[in-house]
Amino acid sequence: MSSVDVDPGADRTRGDADETPRRRYELEDLGFDEVPKKYRKFYRRWNGPGDTIAPNEALCPVCKVIIRSPRELRAGDRLYCMACMTRVRIVAGENGGLETETLY
Amino acid sequence: MTNFLDAYSIQYWLESCPQGYLMDTDYGHPADEKEPALVIEDPVLRDAAIRTTVQLVVGERCALASSSGLVGCAPDAPSQCFLATQTLDEARHVEVFTQRLYDLGVKKKELEDVIARYANPNLVKFAEILLEKVDKKDFVAGVVGQNVVLEGMAFSVFEMMETVNRDPNPKFAHTLTGTIADERRHVGFGENRIGSLIRQYPERKSEIEQMQKDMSYFMLATFADNFRSNEMQQEVEHARDELDAGARGDATWQGVNLAQAEPAEIEAVLSDTILKDFQARLGRIGLAYQTPAKPRVAA
Repeated sequence: MSSVDVDPGADRTRGDADETPRRRYELEDLGFDEVPKKYRKFYRRWNGPGDTIAPNEALCPVCKVIIRSPRELRAGDRLYCMACMTRVRIVAGENGGLETETLY
Repeated sequence: MTNFLDAYSIQYWLESCPQGYLMDTDYGHPADEKEPALVIEDPVLRDAAIRTTVQLVVGERCALASSSGLVGCAPDAPSQCFLATQTLDEARHVEVFTQRLYDLGVKKKELEDVIARYANPNLVKFAEILLEKVDKKDFVAGVVGQNVVLEGMAFSVFEMMETVNRDPNPKFAHTLTGTIADERRHVGFGENRIGSLIRQYPERKSEIEQMQKDMSYFMLATFADNFRSNEMQQEVEHARDELDAGARGDATWQGVNLAQAEPAEIEAVLSDTILKDFQARLGRIGLAYQTPAKPRVAA
């Protein structure tokens, strides 16, 4: 599989501990042009510490791009940041929110 | 899970970079954008722009020599492939920043003299530490030095400069935006590739950590020379006199309003951001961050 066949947001998630249905999100292209066209809707630029990260979004800790999923994210989910080609996992943060950690 | 190395392909690079954010650019920016008249016509601002851009050319020449040198000692074909794309990225960076020197009025025949005159000696020492590892065909140290330390520094420096220039100089800001996009891939490769290699060669850790400490020292010394110099103080005051608050725009980066901050404050936030970033990146790949000595204040 080539890198451009990797679908970063669609159903690569594995965080199923919480069995309540996940909210789904309609993704649209927000102008992130650093990945091939068909994957652009899965990313957006991060606007710094004041930027609100939605329940279907995660900040890539390596390149500071927001990864967007069509589903609400939960701890244990795995995502792919195509901008820096890094795999990340969603983990529960100390403050009760969700954070990301890299998978090397 | 597929092998992470599968992601490194020329096809991916083509679709993301030349067919993506570089589409329809001319030396990294829209063709109709020019350097602001104030920068070209005001000798103090022009000189400051040339001095700053020379440091970018020096850093990118180092990255070009390093990435091209690492192609030949990469342990696998996907890494060679990635470093080949990075070599082209770095060559482009050298070209766009050199073009900016020409746009600022530097003559082609003067280029090397201008670079020699303005290149910060501490930045040259920073580069020499990295290139020594590359000359020895030391892939692991070379990638940490290049893709974690050098590119990590460039990532934050470019972000800060892009913020400062976004309103008063869109041409330069757009040039920087493209280089930041490139740096995302470069730092990603550094962490992804070394994260696995460092586990194979744990005996290399202390030597590589020392390299990071040495490179970080010369990076801080470069910033100290730059931000603490009398020239910088005068340039900042002059620029603020010439540009009213509206023209400077919102230049907040890492919580600091760069349009109003003193050079010492800008140096502190830049150094702090980069060192924290090094610590986080090295920690993720299994290396211990080494705190560099503080450079002495130049007289």
